[in-house]
Amino acid sequence: MSWVTIIWSMTASACLTLAAVNLLVWCKKRTEWANLLFSLTAVGTAGMGFCELWMMRADTPGQFGTALRWLHVPVWALLVALVGFVRLYLRAGRPWLAWSFVGLRTLSLLLDFLVGQNLNYREITRLRHIPFFGESVSVAEGVANPCMLVGQLSLVLLVLFVADATVTVWRRGDRRQALAVGGSISFFTLAGTVQAVLVLWEMVHWPMTASFFYLGIVATMAYEMSREALRAAQLSDDLRESEERMTLASEAAGFGVWMWSIARNQLWGSERWLRLFGFAPDATVTFEDAMQRIHPEDREGVERAVRRAVADRSDYAAEYRVVLPDNTQRWVAVRGRVYPDTQGRPVRMMGATTDITASKQAEDKAQRQHEELAHLSRVATVSELSGSLAHELNQPLAIILTNAQAAQRLLAQQPPDLAEAQEILADIVSEDQRAGEVIRRLRSLLKHGETSLQPLTVNGIVEEVLQLSRNSLIGHGITVHRTLAPNVPQVQGDHIQLQQVLLNLILNACDAMSANPPAGRQLTVTTAHRDGAVRISVSDTGCGLPRVAERIFEPFYTTKKQGLGLGLSICRSIVTAHKGRLWAENSAAGGAVFHLELPTGEK
Amino acid sequence: MTPSPLPTVFLLDDEPGMLKALTRLLTAEGFIVRGFPSATTFLESYRAEERSCLVLDVAMPELNGLDLQHRLTHAGILLPIVFLTGHGDIPMSVQAIKAGAVDFLTKPVNDADLLRAVRAALRRAAEQHERASETAKLRERLASLTPREREVMDHVVAGQLNKQIAGDLGTGEHTVKVHRARVMEKMGVESLADLVRAAERLGLGKRL
Repeated sequence: MSWVTIIWSMTASACLTLAAVNLLVWCKKRTEWANLLFSLTAVGTAGMGFCELWMMRADTPGQFGTALRWLHVPVWALLVALVGFVRLYLRAGRPWLAWSFVGLRTLSLLLDFLVGQNLNYREITRLRHIPFFGESVSVAEGVANPCMLVGQLSLVLLVLFVADATVTVWRRGDRRQALAVGGSISFFTLAGTVQAVLVLWEMVHWPMTASFFYLGIVATMAYEMSREALRAAQLSDDLRESEERMTLASEAAGFGVWMWSIARNQLWGSERWLRLFGFAPDATVTFEDAMQRIHPEDREGVERAVRRAVADRSDYAAEYRVVLPDNTQRWVAVRGRVYPDTQGRPVRMMGATTDITASKQAEDKAQRQHEELAHLSRVATVSELSGSLAHELNQPLAIILTNAQAAQRLLAQQPPDLAEAQEILADIVSEDQRAGEVIRRLRSLLKHGETSLQPLTVNGIVEEVLQLSRNSLIGHGITVHRTLAPNVPQVQGDHIQLQQVLLNLILNACDAMSANPPAGRQLTVTTAHRDGAVRISVSDTGCGLPRVAERIFEPFYTTKKQGLGLGLSICRSIVTAHKGRLWAENSAAGGAVFHLELPTGEK
Repeated sequence: MTPSPLPTVFLLDDEPGMLKALTRLLTAEGFIVRGFPSATTFLESYRAEERSCLVLDVAMPELNGLDLQHRLTHAGILLPIVFLTGHGDIPMSVQAIKAGAVDFLTKPVNDADLLRAVRAALRRAAEQHERASETAKLRERLASLTPREREVMDHVVAGQLNKQIAGDLGTGEHTVKVHRARVMEKMGVESLADLVRAAERLGLGKRL
């Protein structure tokens, strides 16, 4: 083994190794064309080195000529790949220069095989042996082929092309890359070209060692590619960090995020999402698995909504119950979006799910409060009606007593009047039933409830009631305007009762406007503070008050089809009990205004 | 005039069940009961009877019990009234009693209380009837006096002596004495005191 053999073999094998690695990368990811081109460059360099070794070891001019002819094949491949790499990797270089170069180089290759012994020699007359690395190697002597000029012109074009690309990259601001890639490719190409010119025109007696220069290019490219790989690794680190940040954010916001790959039917969920649905942190979940966790009553609706979102490529939002394996139940709200591929086919659905159990419970609580209010209204109704109800109950009792005593007398007569007594008993039974009915109604109306006075913020009550009646207002298509005075002093009052009064006023306003076109349904709630009193005004754009406005506060006066006509009279008695005033008037703009005034206790 | 054998109780209540029950109770007790569901129907068909009273519910639509009492008093109908009420309050009962009601009972009413009140009312009716018939008799007698006798009577009742009367009327004292004796005879009284009482009953006297 000589040094020459060792060095050239090592050059070739290093190139082949790099080529193999990059070919593998390209095989894994076919869009990475730069890797393929680099691989080709490396293979070309290896082939070039092999041919050079062949030339140095040639025994006859014929062998040398053949080796030199074949040398041009890897050179062609190497240079074409190099041009491609510059275009792809540096995204620079004029296409016409590139194509001119490829054309000339291909022409050179054709001439190499068609004219003379090879592209460089018409005929090699003899071999000379010169010492090289302590060894005797062959160099040729003969008649130069003028076609060689075509090949060397192509090399000039290549240098121009690379230099031009380098300048472009430099100007683009990427100086490091311009120097490292463009500069080194320009330098080594130029050096290789100069050496080829000097050797082949026999200006110096030196073997062809161009593969070394190209090895320099390959090394530069390899360095760049590995930088790229490092950057990818860094990016993946960054990505993981960003993912962690996102997880942290979603955890902090209480969101469980998920992604459903529709085609593969795989559901990826963040840890929190998996926990929300009661899955193990490392579980592999399908769409159906998740569906199974949804409350049976909600499942069908959710599935339908998802399918619709997928079909329409639209957004999706739902609230439903999740039943965990231990049978506990929680409410979740979910928002998702379908992501189509470039052809518009839905491929992915992503979204966030959050636990709304607490807010659902609050909603339930609000509902119960509403019911309490209704109950209170009934209690008030009973107290309002107590006189009338006592009479209702007294009447049958009086009739029963008188009938019974009449019967006693009829039965004491001789002979006793049994027929009349029979009739009396029938009457007693029916009167007793009547009394029972009164008591039954009374009991259903009664509900415990204690009045408790406490300092209240009027604006707060307004907001609460608007919140409570939100559904009604929305249902009626009513627009609410608030004009709430700042710094309104507190009033002493029963929270629930004042809520009830306001609720009554607001619901009345809703009813009054139900015949209006939706645009004409405006509810305005105003608070004001003046002269030791706080005033809440509720005005609507409805049909206004009846001619004798004061009548609406009388019990059993109603303008509604269904209505006891008790609401406002109860309201007024509540307000009066608060030492306040409740009155109504027609507003200038049409519609009614109800004013509720409460003393603040300050002078 | 012969008194009717059984006293009549007029009954007024807007509650049919109550009307029926009270009718049964009072009928069993031997009264003639005539029930009405409202003041209007009662007034339309009312005919004065010797011994009768009215059992009246206070709370009725249209014309209530107290209004009816007022109306009857104005029309000079002396019908003793027993009031019944579902929820009686004191001012209302005072007003009723002041206007001449016999009693003011609260429902549910005990039979003994009701019957006691009805009997009291009927007694008062009888007394009123008796007094009324006496007055009618006196009025007849008064009508039988000659104008001169009537003049003399007025003066006598006014407390004048025969001499003064003779002077006032421009006649002799003896003539006055004769007229005075005829007045006493015609009026069916035996003493001056009786004559004065009769004159009072008739609403005469103290006119001079």
